[in-house]
Amino acid sequence: MKKIIEYIRRKLSVRVSLWVVLFATIIFIVALSFLFFQAREAVRKEAINRATQILDNTSLRVEGILNRVEVASNMTKWLVLRHPEEADSMLVYSRSMLLNNPDFYSCSIAFEPYYFKNKGLYFSAYTKHVGDSIRTLQGGSEHYKYFYIDWYLMPKLLDQACWTEPYMDLDAPTNTYDMVTSYCVPIKNKQNQMIGVINTSLSITWLSHTISAVKPYPRSYSIMIGRGGTYFVHPDTTKITRQTIFTQTMEHPDTALTALGYAMQRGEEGMKRMKIDGEDSYVFYKPLGKTGCSMAIVCPESDIFSGFDRLRHTVMAIVAVGLLLMLYLFIRIITRELNPLRRLAQEAETIASGQFDAVLPDFQRIDEIGQLSHSFGNMQQSLVRYIEELKQTTSQKASIESDLRIASAIQMGMLPEKFPTKDDRDDVQLYASLTPAKEVGGDLFDFYFRDEKLFFCIGDVSGKGVPASLFMAVTRSTFRTVSAHESMPDRIVTTMNKTIADMNKTHMFVTLFVGVLDLPTGRLYYCNAGHDAPVLVGAGVGVLPCESNIPVGFMPTWKYTLQEAHIFTGTTILLFTDGLTEAMNANSEQFQMERVNNVAEQALTDGQQEPQLLINRMIDAVHQFVGDAEQSDDLTMMAIQYIKQQSEVRMQKSIVLTNDTQEVPQLNAFVEDICKTVGFDQAVTMQITVAVEEAVVNVMKYAYPPGHHGNVTVEASLNDVRLKFTIIDSGKPFDPTVQAEVDTTLSAQERRIGGLGIHIMRQNMDSINYERMNNLNVLTLRKKIHNT
Amino acid sequence: MWITLLLLFSAAANSSFFTLNSSLLMAQDETIVFTPQWTAQAQFAGYYVAEAKGFYRDAGVKVRIEHPSATQPAMSRLRNNECQATTLQVCQALEIVDGGIPLVNILQTSMNNAMVIVSSRDRNPLTHKGARVGIWSVGFGQLAICMSIKEHLDYQWVRFAQNVNLFVSGALDATLAMSYNEYYQLVQAGIKMTDKNVYRFCDHGYNVQEDGVYMTREYYNQHKEQAHRFAQASRKGWEWAAKYPEEALEIVMQYVDKNNVATNRVIQRLMLKEVLRLQVDRESKKREFRLRPDMVQQASRLMLENKMLSREVTFEELSK
Repeated sequence: MKKIIEYIRRKLSVRVSLWVVLFATIIFIVALSFLFFQAREAVRKEAINRATQILDNTSLRVEGILNRVEVASNMTKWLVLRHPEEADSMLVYSRSMLLNNPDFYSCSIAFEPYYFKNKGLYFSAYTKHVGDSIRTLQGGSEHYKYFYIDWYLMPKLLDQACWTEPYMDLDAPTNTYDMVTSYCVPIKNKQNQMIGVINTSLSITWLSHTISAVKPYPRSYSIMIGRGGTYFVHPDTTKITRQTIFTQTMEHPDTALTALGYAMQRGEEGMKRMKIDGEDSYVFYKPLGKTGCSMAIVCPESDIFSGFDRLRHTVMAIVAVGLLLMLYLFIRIITRELNPLRRLAQEAETIASGQFDAVLPDFQRIDEIGQLSHSFGNMQQSLVRYIEELKQTTSQKASIESDLRIASAIQMGMLPEKFPTKDDRDDVQLYASLTPAKEVGGDLFDFYFRDEKLFFCIGDVSGKGVPASLFMAVTRSTFRTVSAHESMPDRIVTTMNKTIADMNKTHMFVTLFVGVLDLPTGRLYYCNAGHDAPVLVGAGVGVLPCESNIPVGFMPTWKYTLQEAHIFTGTTILLFTDGLTEAMNANSEQFQMERVNNVAEQALTDGQQEPQLLINRMIDAVHQFVGDAEQSDDLTMMAIQYIKQQSEVRMQKSIVLTNDTQEVPQLNAFVEDICKTVGFDQAVTMQITVAVEEAVVNVMKYAYPPGHHGNVTVEASLNDVRLKFTIIDSGKPFDPTVQAEVDTTLSAQERRIGGLGIHIMRQNMDSINYERMNNLNVLTLRKKIHNT
Repeated sequence: MWITLLLLFSAAANSSFFTLNSSLLMAQDETIVFTPQWTAQAQFAGYYVAEAKGFYRDAGVKVRIEHPSATQPAMSRLRNNECQATTLQVCQALEIVDGGIPLVNILQTSMNNAMVIVSSRDRNPLTHKGARVGIWSVGFGQLAICMSIKEHLDYQWVRFAQNVNLFVSGALDATLAMSYNEYYQLVQAGIKMTDKNVYRFCDHGYNVQEDGVYMTREYYNQHKEQAHRFAQASRKGWEWAAKYPEEALEIVMQYVDKNNVATNRVIQRLMLKEVLRLQVDRESKKREFRLRPDMVQQASRLMLENKMLSREVTFEELSK
């Protein structure tokens, strides 16, 4: 079965043919059903007409003869009443009846007991055919008390003439039975007293033969029952006179047969459809005159409809064969018609296998298949052309992809790859991760150290792909360029914004968070340009308060605000792009800030707030959440943990000088004294002295307006690790650390003023740091003591 | 049915010849000619069984069953010594004994009365005063007459040879019937029987036994041993029929066919069932095969009251 269905599904010709034949079958079924129904009705009506006609004819014939008997009987009654006292006359009347009506069976003129005193108890003038002669005798005797017999009692009790139930009479000479029925007329005297009965019998054997012979259909048969339901005609002769129509219902109730019996007994005329001997049959019935008998014709339905059924079966066979032939022809024709399609399919297969130059057959047809072939040829040509184009496109794409891979490598190369750990530094450790959604992305992060400051940024360029990556590259290089000259994040961002906005023709933008962490103090300066606020993971988990500002690239004139916070030792700053919070799973649910916080809290609980651990944990959480869903956005995270342990101050001294260079020796003495105390050697002491002098002289010379008196305070403090000099003045703000260092390859005349000082300071000291605090310039120079 | 009577006519001619021979044979062989009261039917199944199964032969008694004819009803044959045993109803036996012919009941089969009145038009026969009620022309209706007098029903009795057609044609308002015979013939003719239109004498204080086998006392006194064997073998036949009713029915149908009786297997099956039922005593629930003195007394007194008997015939008069 499965194979057949599979075959049908594979063969269009079979399928189409089956559909056509199915529809044809439905139409045939409907049409033939209607036709058969109508034809059957016609046959049924014909059967009814036929049976009714037979019944009517038989009934009429019986009526005619019965009427003759009745007339003759009434005539005899008239004669009897003319001489009711003459018994012998009765013998004559009785004999005359048969002489005048030779087809009558017998005649009795019987009287009440002792009616004729001289005749005794019985007197019945009885005449009967005996052979060819007619015999008349006195019929009553002790052995035949006629006045107890039905034919005598019935007219007497009913007080009217009547037909008795038929009975079988033995004709002794021929030993044959005659079916006889009698018409009995009561004889009443003038006093209206019943004196006797005239019984005129009629053989109805002919009737039973006639009825038996009624056979409108080969297997149909007729029955005749009497008033008491007794069979007088039946194909099963053992039932005649021995059974009634009700007999079999006494043991096996049959309501239909019982109803038929009652209807026939009541002398009704009609037709019933019922089961007779387990076969559906039509029974037509009609009373036979006044005899009280009823005749029925039983026609098995299969018999009535045998001709019709034969016709029906023949038609159905023809239709079935026709439909099968139709199916076969359709399959053949459609298969032949579809043959070009099959060849076309083979050729298409060839083309599909890569032989684009395969020659298509020319069907020379103008029908749909010809059009299809033509279209297919065009398609083949187009396909060849497209394949060529595709090859070019593919090679171009491969080239672009190669470029993209290179671009990706370059972009990744732009990003710092080496992250300081606690093994590398004692003040900060850092880790970052960037996973672009495409080959190249628009996220960026960067960091570098300058003058004991950690400059870092994280950003997210609008859009994705190559444009975003280019914008990201621009942003990152701008950050590097600008932050080389600016130490304050707000200024860095403002400058970057102006620079980027001015050249931003594509109207792209970047959200940016720029921070500068003063490593010795843990003070964090930061500026947020529309970026997500970082999470702080320290004593607890919280969000770094951020003013949102606007992303970089929109308005060149926008002034970005500076914010400041103190980062405690051990606290990790987690920066991220919206690729983290908006990471989406297959149900389009986002990771959201709540989960970021949860993961961070869990990490904190587990003591895993170190940058790499924290970020890996966060990445794992995101992967688990996203599952198999495609990454929708670049995912970038950067974690910075401040780990600086404040050393104990072992020594602290200060000196306050005026802005007079005359006080430089005093400064130098102060510095040398300190260095000596620390234990630096001569060379280092010289380096430190020169550096501090350069810084202080710079303040003395330029911090205050000419002629304006001002102080410069130099504080020295020593811990186990470093010696620190802090130079404080209240002059105009000036950050020497952002001044371009001198190009030492140039001659002294070519160098810019000021550049050499900062160069010396950087060369001689381990770090220099500038801060503007409380309207004071605070310059810090540090030298590690283990260098000695 | 007419056919029955006509058959009896035809049988009459033959049987008179055989009767002559048989009486001669009987004198020599001591054959008991047994004449049931009616044509061959299941009412006499036990005797047919006893003959067919050889119970009579086994009992060492020669029995020949000869059915009555119209010219020679059973009683007349007994009276003429054309047969030595016949079946009679108790009431009939009482009448005959009262008429001067002493009879002996050698086997009582019926323990219950089977007579019913069937009313046409679904009417209670007891409420139908003056109704024209069919009654057998050959007797049997004694209890019904007693009842109609007692109940002041004033029935007009119509003696009939055969009642079905009269009843069906509406010539009778009601008719007497035996619950095993005419009752089923009426049903077979399409008459609907209800609780209302059927009056059963046995349920109204007239439960007088019916069929039994009788011999003239004269013959009995001379052939007691033979009579006893005949009675025992007949009883055995009835017991066998009660045990194997379908086989008994087969035997009945053989007798029916042989005698060309216009009946059928359905009617005979129902008749046998009913006859066997009537043989079970209501009180003891057993087939007792005995004449009950109380029933004989009841019947005798009822008939005497209604002047059907000139004197009370006693149980002892009928007893062996």
